[in-house]
Amino acid sequence: MDFKAALATFVKSFRLRKFQFAIAALAFMAVLPLFVRSEYLIGQVFTVMIIFALYASSWNLLAYSGQGSLGHAAFLGIGGFASALLATKLGFPPIAGLFVGGLMSAGIGFLVGLACVRLKAWFLAMVTFGFAVISETIVSQFDDIFGGTIGFATPSIVPRGVPFFYATLAITTLSIATIFLVMKSKWGLAFKAIHENELEAKMIGINTAKYRLLAFVISTFFAGVAGCLLTESQLFISTDIFKIDNSFLPLIMAVIGGLGTLEGPIIGAVIIESIEKFAYVTYPILQPLNPLFPGVTNVGPPLTFVGLGIFLIVVVIFLPKGITSLLHKLYDYLREGEPPKKGEEK
Amino acid sequence: MITPAGLAQALLFGVANGCIYILLATGLNLIFGVMKLVNFAHGQLLMVGAFVAYEVTTVVGLNPYVSILVSMCSVALIGMVLEKFAFRKIRGTDKLNEIFISLGLIYVFQYSATLLWENSYTIRIPSPLVGLSVPLGGVALGYDLILAMLIVVVILVGLLFLTKKTKIGLAMRATSQKSDAAMLMGININRVYLFTFAVGAALAGAAGAIYGILFPFNPAMGALPTIKAFAIIILGGLGSIPGAVIGGLLYGIAENATAYLTNGTWQNAVAFALLIAVLIIRPTGLFGEKGE
Repeated sequence: MDFKAALATFVKSFRLRKFQFAIAALAFMAVLPLFVRSEYLIGQVFTVMIIFALYASSWNLLAYSGQGSLGHAAFLGIGGFASALLATKLGFPPIAGLFVGGLMSAGIGFLVGLACVRLKAWFLAMVTFGFAVISETIVSQFDDIFGGTIGFATPSIVPRGVPFFYATLAITTLSIATIFLVMKSKWGLAFKAIHENELEAKMIGINTAKYRLLAFVISTFFAGVAGCLLTESQLFISTDIFKIDNSFLPLIMAVIGGLGTLEGPIIGAVIIESIEKFAYVTYPILQPLNPLFPGVTNVGPPLTFVGLGIFLIVVVIFLPKGITSLLHKLYDYLREGEPPKKGEEK
Repeated sequence: MITPAGLAQALLFGVANGCIYILLATGLNLIFGVMKLVNFAHGQLLMVGAFVAYEVTTVVGLNPYVSILVSMCSVALIGMVLEKFAFRKIRGTDKLNEIFISLGLIYVFQYSATLLWENSYTIRIPSPLVGLSVPLGGVALGYDLILAMLIVVVILVGLLFLTKKTKIGLAMRATSQKSDAAMLMGININRVYLFTFAVGAALAGAAGAIYGILFPFNPAMGALPTIKAFAIIILGGLGSIPGAVIGGLLYGIAENATAYLTNGTWQNAVAFALLIAVLIIRPTGLFGEKGE
């Protein structure tokens, strides 16, 4: 465990352009409520965007170790249900529920990961997908314990709106910083080596099973935390949290943003959440298309998702490193002529 | 109420499901065996096949069983486009990219279908034989089911002939063993891949048409069968076509028996639990020779 070196990297990164960007982004988010007065925008759009940035980052960490999960919604749901049930039935404060929910999710993630350590990418994808279906079934079948079929309201400690926005921002920043430290640590190197070539990683003495499991546990912990936050942000939870879209979205966000980078999932979350929440702006423009498709009352929502699918395919084929790589190029282009500073990260 | 006749009827439904799973799993197995490619959007081809058959039957007025052929051809064409313009582009890159591309395709197909056929929520291809059945002591064995089973057998025999007796089949087998060596022997790998994907897609198209004849369907029908077909090829062993056939039948029957015994709620969970158990205990599958 080499957190010291990672910490050194972290401190060194204060001088990095990337870090300054992160601070700028954080500052931007911090002053956002001063300019945006809309309750809906703050509470439902930006807060959810931040939560999904964390959720996509947790997925990204798993993919960083070469393991693609298609059922991360299971862990989102476990975290959410654990914290919600603790809060309503045992009177846990939501902040404690946050950690317990994350730990619960990580514990179950440990078991699932243990079952999956030997599996190749696509088998793992299937097992995780199956696990999401199983969790949903279990939660909806034992309804007297979970009460998930109809759902139930969850209590809140942090008031809705701006205070909760800041709480989410703080927790997410801490979590993503932790994920960053893990990615930059010796563990992260091991994850990367396993992703590149598992056999070679094993040959140079990396205990691949241990590190794959480790990635699984850390990733599911933060997915659980994201689940708690999501539940808190809605003040409500039902089995709907296990839906397939919740498993696919973090993947789409991470891939579109830039797989295996720190900023990728965050940028992806911003892009995808914006598309989802603001797509209705284009509906009037798409209105003339309605007569072509008599089956649907509004062509907007399905077309948005078709567009999302095409977007994903195009990014995977033409921009394998995601939108992030495009931004890096743009940045370099804008600064063309200036010599790169020493120690600056590209 | 659990009665022997009811259970037998559930098992028969299992066989009907099994027919579809067999075709789907065989197609996936073929694509995986030759191309080492995992197409999670395979179920969307099933869905497209069902809708093509439906349109051909209702709008053009062809016999539903003829429409199976039309469906196979059109889905094969779609498959070729997918291979050429999507999967070929990412060949040789990270394995996860296949999953990402398939996911994008799932969104594209599913929501395009929603656009085109939203009003036809849970439709069924009108078969002239619907409702006709052979009574077997309280259990009704539909003519449609008998025909579907026959068609599946014919398709499988055709596939066997294709892979074992034709030149392109030989090329496919060679490529599946070692693509580099096959290339050195003068086999046009790209053409083999294109053909393989088309055949796999055609099988999905046939499965879709048969699904549409036997069961009602909607644009969201594709997601679960894909994962189940994967489960089947894992159960049956990767690359093993007899394994896919036995696995498909067993899976369909087990699934429907569970659905009957537990009122349908545990159907998918039990199926996936079974899959996960098999993966943990025997990662190479029940009948598999060696794992990938």
